[in-house]
Amino acid sequence: MELAAERVSVRFGGLVANDDVSLAIAPGEVLGLIGPNGAGKTTLVNILSGFQRPHAGAIRLAGTEMTGRKPGAFARAGIVRSFQAVRLFRGLTVSENVEVGLVGRGLGRAEARRRALALLADFDLLHRAAQPASALSYGEERRAGLARALALEPRFLLLDEPAAGLAAAEAEELKRAILSIRERHGCGILVIEHNMALVMSLCDRIHVLGGGRTIASGRPDEIRADPAVRTAYLGSTAA
Amino acid sequence: MSTRGSAIFDGGRIVPLLILIAVVLALAGAAEFAPTVVQRRITQGLINLVAVVGLYVFVGNSGVLSFGNVAFMAIGAYVSALLTMPAAAKGVFLPDLPAFLAATEWPGLAGALAGGAAAALVALVAGFPLMRLSGISASIATFAILVVSYVVLGNWTSVTGGQNSLMGLPIYVGLWTAAGWAVAAIVVAFLHQESRSGLLLRASREDEVAAAASGVHMVSHRLAAFVISAFVSGIAGVLLAHFLGTVRVETFYLDLTFLIIAMLVIGGMRSLTGAVAGAIVITLLTELMRLAEIGVTVGDMTIAAPGGLGDALLALLMLLIILFRPNGIAGGREISWPFGPATPTTETQPRKPQ
Repeated sequence: MELAAERVSVRFGGLVANDDVSLAIAPGEVLGLIGPNGAGKTTLVNILSGFQRPHAGAIRLAGTEMTGRKPGAFARAGIVRSFQAVRLFRGLTVSENVEVGLVGRGLGRAEARRRALALLADFDLLHRAAQPASALSYGEERRAGLARALALEPRFLLLDEPAAGLAAAEAEELKRAILSIRERHGCGILVIEHNMALVMSLCDRIHVLGGGRTIASGRPDEIRADPAVRTAYLGSTAA
Repeated sequence: MSTRGSAIFDGGRIVPLLILIAVVLALAGAAEFAPTVVQRRITQGLINLVAVVGLYVFVGNSGVLSFGNVAFMAIGAYVSALLTMPAAAKGVFLPDLPAFLAATEWPGLAGALAGGAAAALVALVAGFPLMRLSGISASIATFAILVVSYVVLGNWTSVTGGQNSLMGLPIYVGLWTAAGWAVAAIVVAFLHQESRSGLLLRASREDEVAAAASGVHMVSHRLAAFVISAFVSGIAGVLLAHFLGTVRVETFYLDLTFLIIAMLVIGGMRSLTGAVAGAIVITLLTELMRLAEIGVTVGDMTIAAPGGLGDALLALLMLLIILFRPNGIAGGREISWPFGPATPTTETQPRKPQ
């Protein structure tokens, strides 16, 4: 019942974005994915959500081969992702943004609207429900993105820099939201994040990429102490 | 707060539909008292409204511009003509018609539905490969549908009469027939855009990638909209044919394509209100221009606007709208009661920089 990338590699021309990377997320686990810019983190999320087909290796969900399927098939199988730029449907209302996922799972519009409003209430966005998504502030946009993702009832949630651009207090609020999502929905969560304090306090395990390869993988305290991770972040002379 | 908020929200959804229907009926009612010439113009305007709403069903919800819907009008017009024309008239204009068609004399409504269905069928077959395209390549492919239909209809002499006009069609479309179909088209377009498929298609219009991440299968929803759009456009062609009493292949080409697209762009292609507003505003405006071109006669002198002014003004208006109000008259929103909180407020907050 886990989501796993098995020895995946992706090249863009001469650039190797992911090189023989393996990683698995268990249900109910929060896994951090960190690494310097260009380490291949977003590419790995693209692979795990079906947006990028790996040139080698496989993606399995609870043992079922998912490699080569379309993003929509991944979403319907319960693998849901967010984007660095939230990418809301800006011309639709905030409620409709959330309804899309519910309706796509086969609910009627009235039932979808009821559940969307309940989700929006969870994220303190009920007063915005009937407004176009383009009217939201940045922080509200981020929360609406999470509500939209949860509407798909994810078994695995892949969050690409959810705290980017948030103030410290907002990031703290986001952390509580992510932990409460895990508690209430029991889904496995992968988080790409640059805010190290947030990653260290939020995640059960951390996976470190550098230059497309796995540098380290382990508990936050192990990662903090790992010399290879320090080298990747601070430069090779530190070794 | 929450129950009250959602009650307003639910109740408000149908308001735009009611207002648009009321506007169409009011327009037809007012035309009832106008001189025959004006009444005919309004009737033609209502037929154009059906065509614009038909175009909107696909273009408005998918965000892909279609140049091909006038082809669906042509298909509707010819199919209905062939099924409803008196056998005697067919003997004169289409001596080489296959025997089973030569004898058919269907009632108007059956012919109209068959015309719409034929257009929808063509859209289904053509759309199957085309709906996989996006952006400008999709638009150009729809233009190809228009050109192909023009060439085929203009040269299939035994069935369509080729470049000659077909005459003697039953003329059953008057003011209220057109108004009735306009209301029907608006209802169909509204139900589609509020349907599950319509919502998912609008999501893909806003962001194809994010829609895919939400599990939306864009191609099938696009195809559904294209087929419904073709059906409504086909009906518009039927109405035009049975309003004029004749069908000519030239009628269904670039001029009409430009007019229908201009109406949708000027009204605003992202809401049903825009489609309806565009058709009505342009109809009234071209009618005014026509009167100006006829001019006023004072004694033995006639003061008139130069011919062609209407077309020039239409082009200018479209340019101004594209420059200064890209979402058209309606601005991408549906109409609501002038007072009261029936539909969402749209105040915008400044976006905080990242």
